Amino acid sequence: MDEIAELEEQAAKAFRGATTTAELRELEIRFLGKSGLVTGLMRGIGKLSADERPAFGAAVNEAKGRLQSLLDQLTSALRGAELAVQFENEKIDLTLPGRRPRAGRTHVLQQTIDKIKRVIGSMGFVYYESPELELFKYNFDALNYPPDHPAMDAQDTFYVSDDLVLRTQCTALQGRVFETVAPPFRAFTVGRTFRNEAVDRTHSHTFHQIDVFMVDEGISMAHLKGTLRVFAREMFGGDAKVRFRPDFFPFVEPGVDYAISTPKLFGGRWVELGGAGLIHPNILERYGIDTERYSGFAFGLGVERIPMMAHGIDDLRHFLENDVRFLEQFR
Amino acid sequence: MKLTESMVRDLVTTTLSAEEIGDLLTMTGFEIEEILEVDGEKVLDVNIMANRGDGASALGIAREILAKDPTSNPTDLYKTVTESWSRPDHNEADVRSKASVLIEAPDCTRYACRVFEGLTHGESPGWVQDRLTKLGQRPISLLVDLTNYVMIETGQPLHAFDLDKLAGPGIVVRSAKLGERLTTLDGTHHELQPGQLMICDTERPVAVAGVMGGADTEVGPGTTRCLLESAHFDHQSVRRTRKQLGLQTDASYRFERYADPEGVVRALDRFADLLEQATGVMPVPGVIDEYPAPPTREPVRIRPTRTARLLGTDVPTDEIEAILARLGLKVRREGDEFWAVPPTWRIDLQREEDLVEEVGRVFGYEKIPEFLPIGSTPVGGPRGNDLLIDRLREELYRVGLDQIISHSLIDVHPLDSWGERTLVRNPASPEMAYLKNSHLPGLVDAALRNGAHNLHFFETGRVFTQLGERQSLGILTSGFLDALHWSAGARESSDFFTLKGMIEAALRSVGVHPEFGPLQSPDSRLHPTRSAAIRGLGVMGQIHPNAASQLGLDAETFIAEIDITDLVAVKSTEGLYRPIHRHPPARRDIAVIIDTSVPFSRVEEAIVQACGPALERLWLFDVYTGTGVPEGHHSLAIALQFRKAGNFTDEEANQVRDLAVAALEALGGKLR
Repeated sequence: MDEIAELEEQAAKAFRGATTTAELRELEIRFLGKSGLVTGLMRGIGKLSADERPAFGAAVNEAKGRLQSLLDQLTSALRGAELAVQFENEKIDLTLPGRRPRAGRTHVLQQTIDKIKRVIGSMGFVYYESPELELFKYNFDALNYPPDHPAMDAQDTFYVSDDLVLRTQCTALQGRVFETVAPPFRAFTVGRTFRNEAVDRTHSHTFHQIDVFMVDEGISMAHLKGTLRVFAREMFGGDAKVRFRPDFFPFVEPGVDYAISTPKLFGGRWVELGGAGLIHPNILERYGIDTERYSGFAFGLGVERIPMMAHGIDDLRHFLENDVRFLEQFR
Repeated sequence: MKLTESMVRDLVTTTLSAEEIGDLLTMTGFEIEEILEVDGEKVLDVNIMANRGDGASALGIAREILAKDPTSNPTDLYKTVTESWSRPDHNEADVRSKASVLIEAPDCTRYACRVFEGLTHGESPGWVQDRLTKLGQRPISLLVDLTNYVMIETGQPLHAFDLDKLAGPGIVVRSAKLGERLTTLDGTHHELQPGQLMICDTERPVAVAGVMGGADTEVGPGTTRCLLESAHFDHQSVRRTRKQLGLQTDASYRFERYADPEGVVRALDRFADLLEQATGVMPVPGVIDEYPAPPTREPVRIRPTRTARLLGTDVPTDEIEAILARLGLKVRREGDEFWAVPPTWRIDLQREEDLVEEVGRVFGYEKIPEFLPIGSTPVGGPRGNDLLIDRLREELYRVGLDQIISHSLIDVHPLDSWGERTLVRNPASPEMAYLKNSHLPGLVDAALRNGAHNLHFFETGRVFTQLGERQSLGILTSGFLDALHWSAGARESSDFFTLKGMIEAALRSVGVHPEFGPLQSPDSRLHPTRSAAIRGLGVMGQIHPNAASQLGLDAETFIAEIDITDLVAVKSTEGLYRPIHRHPPARRDIAVIIDTSVPFSRVEEAIVQACGPALERLWLFDVYTGTGVPEGHHSLAIALQFRKAGNFTDEEANQVRDLAVAALEALGGKLR
């Protein structure tokens, strides 16, 4: 029994003398490992009488247990100190630039278009594409433009031939949809339009529009207002409100200009966004739609207006000039 | 159109301020662009909608105020200028001995005139000059100023001829004859064409009807006798003629938008009143008034139920009736509905919906509630190819390409696609006369604008090619893909295979597996031996060195153009699930020295055929030239991965590898 105590004392002393966890690990093997000294004591058990064996075995195990817990305690203390040193050595300058994986940038107009498509699409409107090089009849005739009417003064048109024009408005989609889809339906498009206008900060010969329209039973100005309210809220955030003002477009009756106002963005000012109204009954009749049963609304607006208002962009020309210093501001 | 506040208040009394009048007009559809302060008076700048010619006067604006503002009342002057005949002499015949009027063209609805004699040259009264000046007009003379003033006040254009310069003296309203000429007041000479409506004397055209008078018959300092014209012409005819002649006047502006044919004579009378006040000169008694077929207006039905259904709110029946009456409609109630005859000045009111709009705008659009449409709501958003293009764009960002969006109208460009260009007939300038047939010019211009180095762009959108209007994807990549980082070693620069990998990744993301092969025909834009056709979709490769140096681009610039109009058609169908083998694969690497003229695709094909289904996958992990490899050859290091249901023994793996080696030897390869 003495040899147990002796060995325990010897081991404990060695443990306490260790200055690193690596040393402790070695000592652990030497004393407590499978072929370690303490374990080795057990080999002497054979020399003992059967009566003495249980007590001896228990004493060895107890000693071993005490040594193990001493070792754990010392290891944990040393480990803490060692980590502190390691951490100090591994210190980095966290303000150094991060390594960003390259990912392409979405053009600011595309960002707006994507958002419009999400919002309008989620309200059940199906997205259509229609030609930029459009037939005169879809751009004007189908939209109830009387021949030789001053309403066309606002639509200075680029002609490719007598019948083919660069569409001046995305509303040109409407006739194409009316020809192929029977009501009820909801449709919209986002695309490029052209007008022969002098270029300055707020005008361009090339710009983008959205056009949204639907036909169903009992569609009213109230549905138009409600839809615009949701659209404005999703696009501009906050509690955007919608205001109608009478205006004239040949393809709607009643026709309005709609303005929105959000306290956040425009400080309560009304900002006119585009034209809207109930689809003109002449158009519905032209496509054989019973106007007593069906009515519809339509609204449109310029895409560029949205980022211009949201980011305070004061020059329309930036959008199609692709200066990286401009584009990289909108991620 | 500008109006002074005093011109409005001459016609209507109201408790509203100029600003409040402005707000009222804006909210009823006559948007006030701004209220100016000129010499101590407010001037309203009113935007006239294209279908509301009736609003292009102080009278029209007064009518709108009277319809909307409950505090307003008409003045005595309002009553005078809205009476058909305000002077008592209209039955007198004296004027007929001084002049005659003959209408020969149906485009003239009405032609009336008065004659004034004993005129002396002079200025218009100070208050008229003052008001015209505030509207930005230059006072000219008594007669000219009064015609302008009455037009602004009543909306009816007038024209004063010097009666002594008219042959006849008779007025003939007719179409121009071939070869006739006219010099207008502005000094321009016009060769007239048949179909253009003219005011003529018995010999020649003396004015373009509804547009501008002729220089020869203009009133001037020597004028003592004057014929004052007040007429109504077809709005489309006036517009057509003035566009053909390149003219635009305040008169044509009003006729194009429809002037009230019933306002013709009262404008003459108003002029006569003002002239009499200013000079004491009375007109020769009587009015010549040719009005062969006064237009009649049919009643239009309006149902309160339909009004509510379209506006989305109930307007009380009595209010509908009152609003229409205030707007000058003659309303008759018939059971549950109204029949209303629109006033002569409102040609825009043709059908029920037009009247519903009138009710709505006067009732107030702010009272319309907000609802979302219910009913059979479909699933919205993009479908088919549009959806694939959206997905494709996402992948293009992911591979590191920045999106650009550029103009469609451009000049000819060295990187145009083949074939004829679409030319705009009336371009704004020669630099934007063509529709682009490729995205490459735009991509190149964007690269040059941004310094030409280390740029990676794509654009999607329409191009206009021999095949018509197409959806196209253009790519340009040049220089380092990654930004220089403080921790990084050498950076990789874009090359042919960078671009190829981008295209493969992008197209595979939408289920399209591109096949690359040699160009079908030479393409002057591309490096002849570093370019490829993407079967059925487009071309890609290094820019041709000539184009690069001409444009000032790096030689190592890589470009692609891919038609994405019908990706749906080339998309592969969704693949079936393949069971996963539980057994581990066996890998064998081989290095083979082979002539560089043997394309890798043939090497790959040979291995695939030789190994059969045991080959799960192969990949090229090195291409080496140099020591130990003969001239004209390279060494390809290829990894082969085999798998089957069950374990591959070493021996089995070696056997399959040997099949691959044998196939490569058949191609002239030698194991290294």
